[in-house]
Amino acid sequence: MKDQVGGNQKRARFQALCQSLRPDLLRFAFWLSRDRALAEDVVQESMLRAWKAQDALLDEAAAKPWLLTIVRREYARSFERKRLVTVDVDELVAREEPMLAVAEEQDLAEMRAALFKLPDEYREPLVLQVLMGFSTAEIARELNLSGAAVLTRLFRARKQLRVLCGEDSGLDPQE
Amino acid sequence: MMDCATYRRTLMADPHDQAAALNEHRERCPECNLYTERLLKFEAKLERALRVPVAEQTKPAAASPGRVVPLHAPPSRRRWLAMAASFLVAALVAGGLWLSVPSSSLAADVVAHMREEPQAWRRTDVPVPDSALSGVLDESHLRLADGAGIVSYANSCGFRGHQVPHLVIQTASGPVTVMVLVHEVVNKTQPFDEQGYRGVIVPVAGHGSLAVLTHGSTTDIKTIERIAARVQESIVWTS
Repeated sequence: MKDQVGGNQKRARFQALCQSLRPDLLRFAFWLSRDRALAEDVVQESMLRAWKAQDALLDEAAAKPWLLTIVRREYARSFERKRLVTVDVDELVAREEPMLAVAEEQDLAEMRAALFKLPDEYREPLVLQVLMGFSTAEIARELNLSGAAVLTRLFRARKQLRVLCGEDSGLDPQE
Repeated sequence: MMDCATYRRTLMADPHDQAAALNEHRERCPECNLYTERLLKFEAKLERALRVPVAEQTKPAAASPGRVVPLHAPPSRRRWLAMAASFLVAALVAGGLWLSVPSSSLAADVVAHMREEPQAWRRTDVPVPDSALSGVLDESHLRLADGAGIVSYANSCGFRGHQVPHLVIQTASGPVTVMVLVHEVVNKTQPFDEQGYRGVIVPVAGHGSLAVLTHGSTTDIKTIERIAARVQESIVWTS
């Protein structure tokens, strides 16, 4: 009986943890896939996988990178399950326009459209750093890159983004 | 000393990098100081842009791991998964073991604000002048009694339509940021851990709330709660 209560409490804590991280995981999946419906499916599936494997999470402090890794793998699996067709970026922007336009400022909508246009290899580390709060070392570990490679991608991501957003990039450094 | 091109390249990779060499360059180079300000504004906008709206779920039944607020008609697979997960949640809720998670929107705004002022996080033993500190605190009708610690940063910041004191206090656990949110009422202590910022928002009877947080440190929530309690004790309300 005592064990059952302890197990239930553990599961409830795990559920609360998932719930608190869910918004950022959804956002991460969205920026990964640039598709709201797919992001919801990926996070949904990831949460169920996490739920089944919750005993593998030994340290709650590591829940965020652990769940994020599950989301990334689940996103990769979605490619295996259904052959995703290649879509033009402008089409993606148009398809997600209602969501992109939900911005209190026009320049936020423009920034979101510019983010859609960033190459995947630049957008993902940028989202991990800015949205998920990952350090360079954590990004390197997650993406299986060197720290220097991560910094280069982050540099290029911001440089391209600033140009796409029409920022004054005259003082930006060259690579 | 680091040259301007290296400084800007480094900053473009991580605008919140607080390396000593970067701080040193920024303090000596007005052009790069200005460049930093512009880049941080861009960064703040980038962060807001990435935070696409996601419906918050506050009721236990809606908070299952398998349920997402559907923005489109859910396909059958998703509906099946939602049902399966809902069953698990129902079992937990029936056991009365639900742990509620406080809304993190206030915490998210506090964190977003922090990211706009990275220079505040410097570890230092140089206190801000008394006149500057009282200037910031007077606006919110409070002062700090002795024992709060060295206040190394004090600024009156715009936050959710109000000017609020933003302080950095040096503690044994490193610099801790305090925001006195007299306009933000919370019912209970709200711990949060977002984007490398860990802290608590604690209710202050009759004076809104207090946000106390650390950045990139290993300080645990219990320690931050103790620091928050000490800060709260040292506040003397003048009205």
